[in-house]
Amino acid sequence: MRLFEQHLNRAVTISTYPCHRAMRLSPKLAANLLPLPCWLVLTCLAVAQDIPGTRVPSVTMSPAPTITITRGKPGTVDLHFRIDGGFHINSNTPKSEFLIPTVLKLTAPTDIVVGKVIYPPGEDMSFPFAPTEKLSVYSGVFILGVVVRPLASVVPGKYAFHGQLKYQACDKAACYPPKQLPVDFQVKVAKGSSTHKKNPGQSPHVHR
Amino acid sequence: MKRDPVVIIVVALVVSAMLGFGVYKSRRSSGQTKNSEASMKGQLAPDFALQSLDGKTVRLSDFRGKAVLLNFWATWCQPCKIEMPWFADLQNRYASEGLQVVGIAMDDAGPDEIGKFAKDLGVNYVVLIGKEEVGDSYGGVPFLPTTFYIGRDGTVVDKVFGLKGRGEIESAIKKALSQGQAVQAQK
Repeated sequence: MRLFEQHLNRAVTISTYPCHRAMRLSPKLAANLLPLPCWLVLTCLAVAQDIPGTRVPSVTMSPAPTITITRGKPGTVDLHFRIDGGFHINSNTPKSEFLIPTVLKLTAPTDIVVGKVIYPPGEDMSFPFAPTEKLSVYSGVFILGVVVRPLASVVPGKYAFHGQLKYQACDKAACYPPKQLPVDFQVKVAKGSSTHKKNPGQSPHVHR
Repeated sequence: MKRDPVVIIVVALVVSAMLGFGVYKSRRSSGQTKNSEASMKGQLAPDFALQSLDGKTVRLSDFRGKAVLLNFWATWCQPCKIEMPWFADLQNRYASEGLQVVGIAMDDAGPDEIGKFAKDLGVNYVVLIGKEEVGDSYGGVPFLPTTFYIGRDGTVVDKVFGLKGRGEIESAIKKALSQGQAVQAQK
């Protein structure tokens, strides 16, 4: 057993050697070879990604943490989206009237107002299909801000928001039909501090 | 420098395995598309009846005896915009040899908007308002542009996904023009 352990410490045995003879790889060499498969996997995946139409584009939303907003006051909820590598979607303000902009549509609970949706500016990029033309796009991760204002009459608690992100994706050689991604997040409405003063003019205890 | 044969063998095995994996993954993810591509080639292109921009009903069978370049596109597809002026130019060049380019707009936009878009790109060929079922009859059009090259005898010569170079398009046109030439000669 000790002999076996010594052997194991000294060498790695490969049994697939074509001459059916066990070959020894020094641990140092084996350690050097270990990253090779990972590198090759990544290379092959990158090659596969480069072939148009081999993958379906996908935009995903990270789960949004519940934000606490004081009733009567506006607050901003940040929604994080990720676009698959190799794809891009039009920004909210594409450079052509024919291109489909990325738009977030939300329905809000009663007495909570969904205000402005803050879209990040698109990145001006050119693609192999039109090297001289710049398109305004999102790629990788992008964040949309949603301004939410619960009315003062809202009962404190958690409120769910639902909606859809409408987008249209392309890769470097093809475009995919417009899609809708369901968007869900929650907002916790808090009562807020009761530090506001009463109207001095109406108080019988006001002394000037 | 003396090379360790084990290292060479390991590297060769890993490279082969990874290439195999890459090809498998690529084929699997596009399996449906590739299957439909394989099943379409050599088959009679499905006939359809679609409205042209000026409201006329146009059938694929109207062009029997001609080589047809059938291009599925949309106004929101930037790569499609690149090909369309090439198609217009190739339509001019090969019209006398019997080429007919037909564009099918897979768009929610109305005929006026599609017409304006096509006119701005110098489109001189037939543009039809697409329907989902026509795309389905051609094995599905999961992305644009998708182009079918149909021979004079009505069989699908080639199906091409995504934007290709002008040279590749012209080669496919020549192939489609030569397909079924005997049939035409008999007529």
